[in-house]
Amino acid sequence: MTTDQHVPENDGYKHRHRHEGPQRHIVVFILSIVLTLIAFAAVAAGGVNATFAVILLLVMAVIQVIVQMGFWMHLKDKGNLIPIIFMLGGFFTAGTCIVMSLYWVWWN
Amino acid sequence: MTTAHAEASKEEFPHEPEKATLEGRNKVLAFWLFLGGEAVLFGTLFATFLALRNQTNEGPSANELFHLPLVAAATFILLVSSLTSVFAIQAMHRNRPAVLRNWLLVTVVLGLGFLILEIYEFTQYVRHEDFGMTTSAFSSAFYTLVGFHGAHVAFGIAWISILIGQLMRKGLTVVTAPKVYVSAMYWHFIDVVWVFIFTVVYLLGKVG
Repeated sequence: MTTDQHVPENDGYKHRHRHEGPQRHIVVFILSIVLTLIAFAAVAAGGVNATFAVILLLVMAVIQVIVQMGFWMHLKDKGNLIPIIFMLGGFFTAGTCIVMSLYWVWWN
Repeated sequence: MTTAHAEASKEEFPHEPEKATLEGRNKVLAFWLFLGGEAVLFGTLFATFLALRNQTNEGPSANELFHLPLVAAATFILLVSSLTSVFAIQAMHRNRPAVLRNWLLVTVVLGLGFLILEIYEFTQYVRHEDFGMTTSAFSSAFYTLVGFHGAHVAFGIAWISILIGQLMRKGLTVVTAPKVYVSAMYWHFIDVVWVFIFTVVYLLGKVG
């Protein structure tokens, strides 16, 4: 597709670093579309066991979020330990709220 | 020859301009902390929604209300807009301000499309389904969660639009680059939250 070696139009000097091309991001996009389609199709088709559907939908969502945060928000790159800790801290606290809330409703 | 080239390299635009200055790096790091806080905020709204989603107070239920084609269209639009903001950042890393501006414009237009669909959806619910904010605990939780996400989209549209104007006035520099990068992080996060919304609110609402 496009070349990875960037040659600027104005100064005429070649950059030594390599820019990542769009290919990987398009793969992430297609993967996201496929995961979304599986989720929508499972619901639209109907007749799927409810418990199985719930697990399938949540798994599809979690995979999509991990892939998008890894590649589109660059969390997979080196030197992102602190951002990952921030996000995991956020998700853990959010998860605690959800578990607490469901516990209240289901078992009280 | 080599020293001349080295001097020229120094003047070149850095590979990752958003991380070329300490201020830029600090902005990106601080924005991650903010997004961690946003995750907690949306987590509490999801928790409320999950607890109340069957309390319909004889009003419409999730299964009766939602139309999957509309939700699928909104999902597709937001997903594409997340990809176009990736392209914007790639153009920024290649020091191509015009390409960057165009991808940001496409992102804003797609964001507007998403917002229009959501406004249409809410209007339909209120006018034709008697499903208002105070109809039931389910409706309050639904409008609060989904509406809060929509407000984030609206804020993102305004933010990125202002950045496009700033890019046109001040150009792409190590000062403006972190602002663009951080707004792209915000936009991706909005898309990530929507993944959970269409799963937990709409699809699980249809499953029961």
